[in-house]
This record gives sequence, C-alpha cells and structure tokens, in this order.
Amino acid sequence: MSRPGFVLEVDERTPPLLIHQGEGFRLEGLPLGSKVIYPPDSLPGIRDVNAAIRHALLHPHGMEPLPELLKPGMKLTIAFDDISIPLPQMQTPDIRQRILEHVLELAARKGVDDVELVAANALHRRMTPSELKRAVGERVFRAFFPEHLRNHDAEDKANLVNLGKTDHGEDVELNKRAVESDLLIYVNINLTAMSGGPKSVSVGLASYNSLRHHHNSHTLKHSRSFNDPPNSAMHHSYNRMADLLGGHVKVFTIETTMNNEPFPSAMSFLNKREWEWNLKDQASYLAVKRGNDMLPPKMRRKLWQSSYAPYGVTGINAGAPSQVHPLTLQKVHQQQRVEVNGQSDVGIFGVPFICPYNVNSIMNPILVTSMGLGYQFNMYLNQPIVRKGGVGIFYHPMPNEFHPVHHPSYIDFFEEVLAETTDPAQLEAKYEKQFATDEWYIHLYRNSYAYHGVHPFYMWYWAAHAMDHLGDVIFVGADRRTAGRLGFRTASTLGDALEMAKHTVGSSPEISYLHMPPLTLADVR
Amino acid sequence: MGLISEAKLLTRGRDWRGRSRTPRSAEKWAEKVEPKEFPTGWARTPVTGIVRTAIQRGVLKPVAWSQTRVQVEGAEYLDGLRGPAVFIANHSSHLDTPVILGSLPRRFTDRLAVGAAADYFFDARWRAFTTALVFNTFPVERYGSRRLRGLAGKLVDDAWSLLLFPEGTRSQDGWMNPFKLGAAALCLSKGIPCVPIALRGTYGAMPRGRNWPRPGRPKVVIRYGRPIRPDADEGVRDFSFRMMSEVTRLWNEEELGWYQAIRASAAGELSPPTGPAAIAATPAAAESDGAASTDVAVPDPAGAARWRRIWESTRPLDDERPRPVWSRR
Repeated sequence: MSRPGFVLEVDERTPPLLIHQGEGFRLEGLPLGSKVIYPPDSLPGIRDVNAAIRHALLHPHGMEPLPELLKPGMKLTIAFDDISIPLPQMQTPDIRQRILEHVLELAARKGVDDVELVAANALHRRMTPSELKRAVGERVFRAFFPEHLRNHDAEDKANLVNLGKTDHGEDVELNKRAVESDLLIYVNINLTAMSGGPKSVSVGLASYNSLRHHHNSHTLKHSRSFNDPPNSAMHHSYNRMADLLGGHVKVFTIETTMNNEPFPSAMSFLNKREWEWNLKDQASYLAVKRGNDMLPPKMRRKLWQSSYAPYGVTGINAGAPSQVHPLTLQKVHQQQRVEVNGQSDVGIFGVPFICPYNVNSIMNPILVTSMGLGYQFNMYLNQPIVRKGGVGIFYHPMPNEFHPVHHPSYIDFFEEVLAETTDPAQLEAKYEKQFATDEWYIHLYRNSYAYHGVHPFYMWYWAAHAMDHLGDVIFVGADRRTAGRLGFRTASTLGDALEMAKHTVGSSPEISYLHMPPLTLADVR
Repeated sequence: MGLISEAKLLTRGRDWRGRSRTPRSAEKWAEKVEPKEFPTGWARTPVTGIVRTAIQRGVLKPVAWSQTRVQVEGAEYLDGLRGPAVFIANHSSHLDTPVILGSLPRRFTDRLAVGAAADYFFDARWRAFTTALVFNTFPVERYGSRRLRGLAGKLVDDAWSLLLFPEGTRSQDGWMNPFKLGAAALCLSKGIPCVPIALRGTYGAMPRGRNWPRPGRPKVVIRYGRPIRPDADEGVRDFSFRMMSEVTRLWNEEELGWYQAIRASAAGELSPPTGPAAIAATPAAAESDGAASTDVAVPDPAGAARWRRIWESTRPLDDERPRPVWSRR
C-alpha cells in the first residue's frame, strides 16, 4: 500500500532537502519550522496493461463497446496527445502505442479502411517523424506515416471547420477531418488534473481563432487554479466548447493516468524522502550531482532529455468524455493530492529541467517562468500555498538560451516585447495579434518545427495568476540580467532570498516548499 | 560547490552509517521495513563450534566465574537426558546465558542454540554476528511477526537443543513475568523434554543497564530441575503452567530448601515469584500516624512500589546452606 502524501515540518532531525534547479539539483537546509509538501508514494502500476486496455475498450463508460462503433466504410479519426506529455517522455512502449495498436486491431477486424491518425498538437511545434514513431510505435508508424499519420495544422484554413459560437461568443474552430469523421477517438495521457476531459479535443485540435478565447491573460488570472477544473475559468470555457462540439462529433475518449515515477532507477533517490536515503542513494546523489555539474551544458541537456520515465499506468478508462474524465481525475488526485493546512508567507519551488514545451529542446527563460509561476504555482486546489501578497522563491539557473528552431517567436518576445512591458494584459493588448498573425512565424509553425508565433504569449499568461497573486518573485541561482528582463529579482542563496523577502513578509515568515517533481497537488484548506 | 563541501552537506544530520533520524512530523509515515533475516547457519558449523567452545570455556566461563560466585545445583538431573531438549529459565540479566552455558555439561553446550530477541540482538549486524558466534543464538520474533516462525522447530529437527527464556525479555525488576507459550508449544509439537532452570542472584549481580557484574563477586545460584515431558493429553497452556510451576519451585528452593519447596509446591502454596505485595494502609494505621484522611489505601495490583521490588530482588543471597530436611525446627 502506497503511503499518502504529507506535510513535513522541518525540525533539527531533518537532513538537507533536495531541490530541483533546471538540469540539476541541490540540497538545501530549510529554516526550522518550514513546511514541506511531499506527494503520496508512487502507486503501483497496472500489471497487465494490455488486458486493462482491452477491458476499457470493451466496457466503456456511457457508450457502446468500441467494436460496436466500428463499421466498414466509416470515416475514423484517432487523435492522440502530443509530445508535451508525459514528462519526461516515458520509456517505450509508450502508452499511446499500446492503445493505438488495440484500437487499430479492432478497426482492422471490422474492415475500417478510412483511418487517420492526428497528433493533437494545437499550436505546439509539430512532432518530428522520429518523435511520432516513438509515440505510436514502429508498426503503427510504418502503416500510416506520412499520409495518414500527421500533426494537426492549426493554420491550414482549408482543413479547419468553424462549428459556431458558444453562448459566451467563443468560436469553436477545429480540425475538419476530426469533426467530419463518423467517430473521433481520442487517446489521452492525463498527467495533471488540468488535462483531459473537455480539453482534449477542444484544445488539441483547435485553431488560434478558438484558443484565444481561453488562452488569454484575463481567463488565466481567474483560473484558480487551472488544476482545479471547477474553479478554473479556462475549464469553464473548455466545457462550453465541448458542449457545442458534442452536437457535431461523436467522441470516444480513452484516458490514462500515470503513477509518480518520473526518474529512472539510477536516479531513484530523486523519488525518495531524504531521511530515507540509504548509502546507495547518497552515493548516487554525489556521483550524479558531481558528474552533472562537471558536464558541458549541451551534453548535460542531452543526458537529461534522454532520461526516460519508467511510468506505471494506474488507470485506463474509455467512453464518453463526460463520464470518463471524473474517473481519471479521481486517479490523478489519488496519486498527487496532499492536504495542506493553511497558506504561508513564502512559497519555495524548484523548477525542474523539463516542461511541456521543451521536450528534446531548451527550457528558455519564458518557459522557466511558465513552469515555475504557471504550472508549479498552480499545483493547488482551493487556494495557493502562498498567501496573497506573499513571496515566491524559485530555483533555476535561467540561462539566456533559446532553441532557434523550436522557439523563434520566443526570442523576439524576450528581446522586444518584454523589454517594453511584463504586464500580461498590456502585452496581450499591444502585441499578441501581431505575433499570432505573423506570416513568417506561421510558415515556421507549418513547415518547420516551431511553436506558433503566439505561443510565448500563452506561456506568459500561464503565469498571470501567480504574478497577480505574489508580492515578490525571487529566483535563486538565476542569471541576473535574464531574470531582470522578466521582471524578477535574483539571489545567490536561499538565505539571501529570505533576506530580500523580509521587506514583503517580515523577518520570520512561514515557509512552504512544494517538493516536486514527482508531481504534488497541494489541497490547501 | 566542491566535492568535500557537497559531501559535508549530504552527511549533515546523518550518523556514520549515513542514516538520518526521521523528522518528528514524518514519524507517522515512516516505512515499516521488515529487517532482513540475519543468516545464522554458519554459526552451527563444526568449525564455528570449535571456535565457540574455545571462547565459552576459555574466556566466558573464567570471566563469569571470576566476577561472581556461581553455585550450581541439580546438574545431576541431566545425567539421563538424551537427544534434543528445551532448557527454559527465568531471565533477568545478560549474565543468565553465560552462567547457564558455563554450568551445562559440554555434551549439551556443543549442540545448544540460544533463542535471542530478533529486534534486539539481530537489529545490527555486528551484534548479530557476535552473539551468533559466542552463544550460537538464533533470532526469535517476540511481537507476533510470522517471519521467523518455524526456525526453532527446524533446529530441533536437526537435533539441536534450545535454550529459551519464555518470559520473552529480561525482567525490569528482577522478578518473574508470565511465560509466553512458544516454548511449551515447541515441546508439545516435537515431543521433547523441557529442563526447568531457576536463576537467582543474576539480577543483583548484573541488572539491566550494567554491562559488567558489580564488584564484590556476588553470589549467583543456578538450579536445574528434573526434565519434564508433556503428557499425551496435555495442552500447551497446561504444560506451560507446569513449566512455570517447576521454575517457581526451583526459585523457592533457595529459601525453603529442596524438600520444603517440593512440599509447598505439592500443597499449592507456591505462587510465581512476582515480587513483594503492596501493603494496604488501614484506617487504624492512618489514624495512628495522625493523618486526617480516613480513606483506605487500595492495594496496588502491580505489587509494591518499584523501589521495594528492586530492593528485595537485589538482596544478597544467603551464603548459609538451607536447613536440612531433618531439622527439628
């Protein structure tokens, strides 16, 4: 039986605790009395994943079994989550491959010829052929690529269809092939509570015209948090779009959940509570830490990016999205939720080496912001771990590095837009449309492997709630000039950061450290 | 940060084995790790047996006999005993095992394994190794874990005699505690005899907390009883009760002598030596003391105050021989 998550109160017995900081980590002695939020132990994975997939497809929730929905001559589209999840990439076979093989086996037996596979990448960069092959497996790739296994193209006007507006006036513009199919099957990996459900189709297969209604500073500022769908304005918008979509497309969704095993066995100490480290864990820590610090940056990044997660699958449910998603959320909460008593003056977050948008890429300063102030800050239910006006302390070296192929618009966003303002609403009003409609960025998005021109804006909006909520943001160990451009202060050590925070929260603040990864969802009461 | 400072940070708050104490707020969530079973088979090989005999006869017994005055009684009852048997004794000191091993004939000690608490003697490897080498200990689970159940039976099957302390732990105050049923169950299931042993004076000589006998060569008496065998229709509880009665009788021989102890035992006048009883204060006594209260003090079911229990159990043993059975008085 896995142990539940809990809140540690640092006492004199507590050894220095591990904090992630980009492509590295460190031990940090936190002040006595600090609260540290630990996730539940990793749940055991399903032993026979293939049997669980078969069972899910044959006993779906709120729909007929999949074989009954498949007919010869029908138009079938199978969409699947793109490379942005899970994080890090999972060890092969990828769960998408396993599910696709089962679904296609059923479709083949039923004589379905017209099958299209689409990576639901929205405005993310296209997946490369090798990335696609890794996700769907050799057999599927060989049978479908390139004609019938493709990335969704949100700028291909001819292959988009506008289904109308929601009662809030939001456009619902989606992939035409998916909408016009007799059946749309969606294969999802639900790593966090924000994913899946209404988000899958209405975001993954949408265009800018549709996404702009929920990916904006106002909505994100009022999504508290976006990992708590009932309290997330963004999810309310998804729901409205999904309701409209339901009248046009028959969606059979297959949702999966993962356990909390993001690190391979050589780095298993990263998954353990520090006072339970044995000699082997401590030796591994020293060896990995020293080796990692000595590596040239490029090689270090390559090594981190090629560390694949030994995720175990904890749940597979299929059927109607509205009936499947609550079951999925239940599993996510079981794995990640920790009850926390009250907010603190200071929140500490260690920003890891990866976020959804730098797989096989570079985590540039804007992505660091999106990961720390966006994803990690929003890993809560009810209320943030930091009180309104409190201080967020984040760990990341934040080098001024960008991937020129993957993130071209980020470079311009950093150099031009952030030089003028860091206020999400202002830069949205003044610059978003220009970046979103820039022909060059659109060309790179469609033909190269670039994120859409508007994507850095979305990353900035992702942090809008934290920027609004926090009184001060301090990055420990970050490049001073880079952090300064983003509007953040820097400190060399935690002691310095707490000294700087004194002006905002006084000299003896309450401190909470969200110990992640592995993923931890703080349920703050 | 250099390697040395990194290592210093890593080892901060950890002991020399790299173990950290569990923070108080995490104790509730500490993982219950079943300790790995320490292998003791090597301790029962002939070569280790030779080394052990040398240690026991060359070091342990001379030291124990030089630091205490050991008086052995009833060893003649073991003359006719053959095959594996279970030796049971009251337990109040780490001196008990050396005294028993030093007083038993070699034909028993060469093939005797000693049951030792798995959670105490086998929690650290160095302690497990030392006790297994010197005493031929094997781990016994005291708190209901099923992990090691069956090991004692296997040893008996391999013709090893066992020395067990059925109280399960050393006495806190020198007096006896009720027997656990394991030893009796083993005798019943294997159909082997049990040799009762009473130890007197070991608590006074080396109580809990001491790791060397107190100065002055205190007297220690070890008294063997006749081997007893379970009857065909005897239950575990009945046999365990008989075992305890025999140890009680042997315990009382120190004060009553051999014959009187048998008579008192036969008349049902002996109760297990659990220490002095509390003396209830009477209203008359209270008044005579000039106390205002007229309440009657309720006797403490646990017996007299702790200091009185220890006071009695550490009373030096009388060096005089017990009265002979033909005494007129």
